[in-house]
Amino acid sequence: MAWIRRRWTPAAADEWTKEDWYTILISPIAYILLMVGVALSLLLLPAGFLILGLGVLATLLMHWIIDPKLKVISGEYEKKQRDYLEELERAARWKETDRG
Amino acid sequence: MVAFGFLDWLWIILYLLIMVGAGVLFYRLGRRSESDFFLAGRGLPWWLPAASVYATHTATDTPMWVSGVIYRHGLAGLWYSFFAAWCAISAFVSTRIFRRSLAYTQAEWNTVRFSGLGAELLRGWMSGWQVFMSMFILGWVGIAMGKVCQYVFGWPTWIGLVVFSSVCAVYVMAAGYWGVIMADFLQGVVAFAVILLVSIWGVVAAGGPSAIVSRLQQMGEGWRLSPFAFSGWFTGDFPIAWFVTMLFIALLGGFGMGTSIDWYVEAQRIQSARTVRDASYSIWWGTALVLMRNSIWAVAILGFYVLYPRIPDTAQYEMAWFRIGFEYLPAGMLGFFFAGIIAIHISTISAVLNLGAMYFTRDLYLHYWKQTASERELVWVGRIATLVLLIGSFFYGLMMEEITSWLIFALWIMAAGIWLPNILQVVWWRFNAWGYLSSWIANLGLSWLVVWVLPSFGLLPELPDYQQFWVLMVLGAAIYLPITFLTKPDDMDHLVRYYVMSRPIGWWGPVRREAERRGLLLRPEPT
Repeated sequence: MAWIRRRWTPAAADEWTKEDWYTILISPIAYILLMVGVALSLLLLPAGFLILGLGVLATLLMHWIIDPKLKVISGEYEKKQRDYLEELERAARWKETDRG
Repeated sequence: MVAFGFLDWLWIILYLLIMVGAGVLFYRLGRRSESDFFLAGRGLPWWLPAASVYATHTATDTPMWVSGVIYRHGLAGLWYSFFAAWCAISAFVSTRIFRRSLAYTQAEWNTVRFSGLGAELLRGWMSGWQVFMSMFILGWVGIAMGKVCQYVFGWPTWIGLVVFSSVCAVYVMAAGYWGVIMADFLQGVVAFAVILLVSIWGVVAAGGPSAIVSRLQQMGEGWRLSPFAFSGWFTGDFPIAWFVTMLFIALLGGFGMGTSIDWYVEAQRIQSARTVRDASYSIWWGTALVLMRNSIWAVAILGFYVLYPRIPDTAQYEMAWFRIGFEYLPAGMLGFFFAGIIAIHISTISAVLNLGAMYFTRDLYLHYWKQTASERELVWVGRIATLVLLIGSFFYGLMMEEITSWLIFALWIMAAGIWLPNILQVVWWRFNAWGYLSSWIANLGLSWLVVWVLPSFGLLPELPDYQQFWVLMVLGAAIYLPITFLTKPDDMDHLVRYYVMSRPIGWWGPVRREAERRGLLLRPEPT
């Protein structure tokens, strides 16, 4: 089993998997590194450039992990979206549905 | 007062014409349907709602607030703005779940997730609350613009409040969300350019980055350069306990919906994205830009501190960033700076006008009043609701001085005791509409008791805000958890439909098994 799965079927992508949890972990770290890194870099502090660099790497890693899965989820879901939207409209216009 | 030349006025007039022009340009798209007027037809690539997330969360009062916390706490003040990081987890959890529900609003989501009378009560309450909150936020942000105009031109505050919100309402009424999103993109670019330009100018005025660092160290205030300058575990004005609570609220809040007041605005951007993936990236990148923008501001405010140290009056140092712009930019650039302030202002106003109108139109008018309304009628109701919100916001704005403390309290109660229920509604199948509704009601009473009533009678010490959060969370759970277990779970058919559509994270075992039994889920093959 690969450490990070890069090829997904629609059914597998719909599940919450370890790739989601890696992303959930890395994403806040990336935010912290980017925020702190930008501030310290603008002050020309060497630590700032290091932190900012780590923030960029964390962001790239996060996208590398989650993007293939998000693509498959999106592609599969869009096929069903029209039916779901019709159902949503029926619920919003509930009185018309009852009469009909 | 600041003296404007011909070039300055030219910048401002050109900018306002472009904004109103955007409304005229997208008028035909906005009037096509309810979905176009409020969600731009659900077809936007991720970078457009991302720009809107960024622009909307750059309001006129934001630089004042960021200036205040950075001037007071140094770079550690950045953490006060880190509440926006709820999007770190939300972008990949609750954003995905909400986008799949297709609900226009959080109020509508209540009836997708919950069932029966409880769900309808929730939808009615939440839509009314959001219409009210929209009007309040419009007044709040509007009066901040009034104060800026008073500082710059010496105008009475009502002029800045009325003029710029009204200009903004023109393109919101004409083109709806299409106008909002396209103008937001432009405003986002202008606002970012202005923030960068003015901040760099401020840093240069203070002698440059190295001079700021060495000057702070000479002043014996080198701690201002550290984002982790804590005042102790539980003592001082920046304790580690506050920091840990903030991280807990901000980050774990991303598993829920509505854990931050900003959720309601972001929810509209989530639904306007063309795919689940676009929705996730729009929220993530929009917020990343917000956090990095705060860092740019922070460095400029450190520069301001070096130039004007130890100002005792909060009202004065909260204007730090505006003062940098108006006192240090050369002639001809002041108008560009003010156009940037207008961009910052009306991006928030336009977003909230359209959001409030959507809650009124979709949840109150269509769902409860006239279920047979045509698409054309709904667009017109949206326009009229926009106008009513605009006029209402003028009254709120002018009353704001008197009611601010009450409304901050209202915002606080919205966040503290219902933080956990906002997560439970997403992650736990057994949490029902009655549990969620009771958490709102319980929070209303408990927050009064914990924050005001009991301390005033000496029955409870006055607690710091982060301790109030924990107390309200535990007390609220003691009420809504028993109510949840004493009332029936939501209808299983309804839950299965929601589960198959949204695929929520967390404890959904019984619902999932029922969906599998009905053959509604495919079993994933082993990897």
